Amino acid sequence: MKLLQLYEDVCVLPDQDLVQENANVDGKSPLGKLARLSSEVSKELSQTYLMSERSKQAVSENYLYVHDADYYITGSTTCCQIPLGQLLKYGFHTGHGTIRSPKDIRSAMALASIILQANQNMQHGGQAFPMFDVDLAPYVEKTYERQLSRLQSLPVDWDDAQLEQLAEEETISATYQACEAFIHNANSMHSRGGGQVPFVSINYGTDTSKWGRILIRELLRATERGLGNGETPIFPIQIFKVKEGINFHEDDPNVDLFREACRVTGKRLFPNFSFIDAPFNASYYDGMHESEVAYMGCRTRVMGNRHGEETSIGRGNLSFSTLNLVKMALVSESLTDFYRILNRYIDIGIEQLVERFDYQCTRRAEEFRFLYTQGVWRGSEQLHMQDEVRDVLKQGTLSLGFIGLAETLKVLTGSTHAESREAERIGLDIVTHLANRMRVAAEAHDLNFSLLATPAEGLSGKFVTRDQEEFGMIEGVTNRAFYTNSFHVPVYQSVSIREKVRIEAPYHALCDAGHISYVEVDGSLAHNAEAVESIVRLMRQHDIGYGSINHPVDRCGNCGLEGLIDAACPTCGEDEDIERIRRITGYLVGTMDRWNTAKREEERARVKHDAHSIRR
Amino acid sequence: MRILSVVEESVVDGPGIRTVIFTAGCPHRCKGCHNPSSWNPAGGEEVEVEELVQRIKVSGWDGVTVSGGEPFLQSSALAELVMACKSLGKNVWVYTGYTLEQLEAMHDEAVQTVLDYADVLVDGRFEQSLRDMGLRFRGSSNQRIIFLNKV
Ligand code: SF4
Repeated sequence: MKLLQLYEDVCVLPDQDLVQENANVDGKSPLGKLARLSSEVSKELSQTYLMSERSKQAVSENYLYVHDADYYITGSTTCCQIPLGQLLKYGFHTGHGTIRSPKDIRSAMALASIILQANQNMQHGGQAFPMFDVDLAPYVEKTYERQLSRLQSLPVDWDDAQLEQLAEEETISATYQACEAFIHNANSMHSRGGGQVPFVSINYGTDTSKWGRILIRELLRATERGLGNGETPIFPIQIFKVKEGINFHEDDPNVDLFREACRVTGKRLFPNFSFIDAPFNASYYDGMHESEVAYMGCRTRVMGNRHGEETSIGRGNLSFSTLNLVKMALVSESLTDFYRILNRYIDIGIEQLVERFDYQCTRRAEEFRFLYTQGVWRGSEQLHMQDEVRDVLKQGTLSLGFIGLAETLKVLTGSTHAESREAERIGLDIVTHLANRMRVAAEAHDLNFSLLATPAEGLSGKFVTRDQEEFGMIEGVTNRAFYTNSFHVPVYQSVSIREKVRIEAPYHALCDAGHISYVEVDGSLAHNAEAVESIVRLMRQHDIGYGSINHPVDRCGNCGLEGLIDAACPTCGEDEDIERIRRITGYLVGTMDRWNTAKREEERARVKHDAHSIRR
Repeated sequence: MRILSVVEESVVDGPGIRTVIFTAGCPHRCKGCHNPSSWNPAGGEEVEVEELVQRIKVSGWDGVTVSGGEPFLQSSALAELVMACKSLGKNVWVYTGYTLEQLEAMHDEAVQTVLDYADVLVDGRFEQSLRDMGLRFRGSSNQRIIFLNKV
């Protein structure tokens, strides 16, 4: 390996793109550099010792991208929906002594932070809680009981109603403080790889119990309040689960909390919204909270299971790789030829995932102690420390993803799926084909293969840069610094909100390993919860699985004004200290200097749904 | 009707997602006006009310806002537009530089029709000294959001 080159790239003149693959790490910090160096070396090791020639070739020819390749050699898996309730109920071990079941909401939420931190270093992707409200509600109730008995012991003459009211008020304020501390922790624990905050997501919204409702309301309040100086919290990624009969219709018990969630999204970009009633999610729903779909914030979804219960809980993705559809289109001579090439690389992609899976299976439980000895991963209670993890890994998913459907269609048909019905139809055909191939692979290997709408922040620029070298600048295809995410309508094309949702919705059903649709809005939503609600209802109507609304959230560091700020703050004139929160791959990012070129350019190219002239 | 532009999906001109029609021409000439190019009554282009109504139908959202410029400069076309929107079941907001009292004092039939049919009037000139970015759907604090003759 060219060690000298590595030295120059990382240590001498840090290039924004090399050090800034990931928007959440400060690539210029010492730990950021160290991480970069070790990741290059470990990638080299896995390529030399673990990957087959065919896989390596597909990667080197820019057809396939292996995500988190720097972790390959460790045998780690991507992510997990952590069974928080169970861990809190029975207590757990982080390595130094046992932690007992908490007695109130403050300690329960502090432990929730510790659990995320402990599990983060077992895996290379995000960490999530699948039913945050349901899992924490018992500790809100415990807090209430504690408060009640404390108040009863005081030498004051209160009647029962007064006592209960006081205890409830105390409980609400304790819950608020616990939520506030949890959010602060999520934005400040640099525990991931030593230099990053963990990618934390929480799902909630369906607990209709008194205690669960208090938790949801206070969590939303704390989110709205923001961090110490009112900054927008970047973590956790919050996902509000929309369910008809629970929080969607006028007389549903949690409809007030749904409205509250819409309002908070208008100010803070979170929560996002997931839809239990979308047919592909509803088919798993049996009325129990455990059967509600849970998403990782980035979009990863794990439901179907050939080896056990069909639930998100205690499961996650094992690894994923992404196909560069655009290059396949560029080298093909016809649509038929495109499918021939696509099939070839789907074969290789499947092989490569199985190859990595086989290696992951040879790892032993003791290498990932928290994940496998504390009951985090489904089925792990049957493992001994020295056991290989093969049997329990089957609970996870192997996912093949794709990028640049829009540019691919541009090459194949001359227009994107937002520009012609013909392209729209071919787009659906291609992705249906990918989904079918995953189904067949699942049968053939008896593993949970699934199709992913790849979230691709570092990748969207890497594929295109290499393709530019080979094919030059092709208008509408390679002439930007990024390829469009998965099946999305390109950010540079102007379509109405309705059109975008309509065009993207059918792909949610096809991409069972994860999907998300974004709606871009050009004005601040801080005063317009009704608009958020209309968009969420539109998503529901079209059977979207997981959706998110992007709107500019700027904040003047001088006077605190929030909203859309152009060059300078309109109130105080401040033009430097402006915090600009934007969303990348589902994650919020605070300042744009942590963005790589592809993402910066994408932000610049975004067409907000803006004024059209009178006659188009 | 003389129109400057139509915004299909606005989130800042009233609650929800709204189609916004910016009319041409404004006599108020407020200092700090958000859109001085709207002052010229001969600006923009002439569009049939019927065509605007078609655009509103296609957009499919619940709200319509007429803004400007000064919509009441073209009060009879405005009345026609507002009535058509109401018959489509839309929620209609009208922005004006006049105050409600000034409009009422005009004793103009078309103006009165607008006030009878529109849901909300946002009235008053833009006063730069009273500018406040934190206001919901208004530019300066003298402006009022008036729910017209509704519950
Ligand atoms: S009324 Fe509105 S358009 Fe007319 S000058 Fe004042 S701010 Fe500008």
